[in-house]
Amino acid sequence: MLPFPRFARPCRAQWCSLRSLSLSSRETQQFRPKSIRQPQNHLRFYSTEPPAPPRSASVFTPSSAVVFVTVLVGLVFYFRHEKAKHIEQREKERAASQYGRPKVGGPFKLMSHTGQPFTDQDLFGKWSLVYFGFTNCPDICPAELDKITAVVEAAEKEHGKIFQPLFISVDPARDTVSQMAVYLKDFHPSIVGLVGTYAETRAICKAYRVYFSTPPDADPSGDYLVDHSIFVYLMDPNGQFVEAFGQVTTASDVVEKIHGFVGEWEKDHGKM
Amino acid sequence: MWWPFTSSEPKKKESAPLRQDRQKCYEFRDAYFACLDHAGVVKAGDEKPSGSCLSEAKNYEKNCAQSWIEYFNQRRVIAEAQKERLAQAETQAQNARR
Repeated sequence: MLPFPRFARPCRAQWCSLRSLSLSSRETQQFRPKSIRQPQNHLRFYSTEPPAPPRSASVFTPSSAVVFVTVLVGLVFYFRHEKAKHIEQREKERAASQYGRPKVGGPFKLMSHTGQPFTDQDLFGKWSLVYFGFTNCPDICPAELDKITAVVEAAEKEHGKIFQPLFISVDPARDTVSQMAVYLKDFHPSIVGLVGTYAETRAICKAYRVYFSTPPDADPSGDYLVDHSIFVYLMDPNGQFVEAFGQVTTASDVVEKIHGFVGEWEKDHGKM
Repeated sequence: MWWPFTSSEPKKKESAPLRQDRQKCYEFRDAYFACLDHAGVVKAGDEKPSGSCLSEAKNYEKNCAQSWIEYFNQRRVIAEAQKERLAQAETQAQNARR
């Protein structure tokens, strides 16, 4: 069985061109009588050519006009449809770039540096900058926290107090609530420090795809360093991951990106 | 092991490092490393037999935690190796251009 009806079979290029050739030669024959604007039956007197078959008297018959208009209308609709589809596709892509995305973040429950319980629910309604580190960190964490301080200061000037920076400890053995409170005095006042047990720390690190090297039985008075991932995560007011900033991204680059994301968000959700 | 009079001591001293502490440590580290540069030594400790940078080393060790010292010393070696590699790559690239 053929997959197509005999005449609807897709033609091969060769065959198509042959067909169009023969068609065009026939058309020239048909066009000649038309060009001298003579009715078909008078043609014999002026032309030595054999008479064209009466079926194809003229291409401009009412039925061809109908076909022409139908095709025209069809094309208009087709292109409108295609355009709508294209716009929808672009819209989807834009939405995907905004929301989509790596599954970073999730529910957690930790203790803030002021001694209050702090969960993922506390992130809703604000843009959060999430950074993991430890207070005994030699240089990278304080540098990144300085960067976050500069970023939040600049971003707040532009958008108001809609940002919630977080510093989450990956050193549960040594970072206590009070130690966190002392440590964070050097940085932006809106930064919330979070500490938890080893299990809680491991859970949030897993949710945020953060690696950390503290062993579960680390000595609370030991002098050791923690190896850990050093990305700053930007989460939107729905608690969804938006972007991760590395150490090489400067504060002004981060501010610029945040500005773009907040603008996009406000286009869809209105000003916060 | 628990000792009646000493157990809480080290924990209390283990407070969070503050900006001024860090700054002080960085400054003494930089002074020590500058001395090592001057002596042509990359790996900290290699200068000891020659007896140079003694006071710098002492200040460095007094103002930085041991874990930080190890980390900074290691990073100095890595950075130095990186510099060398970059220089090598640069000369290679220049040779290729010729």
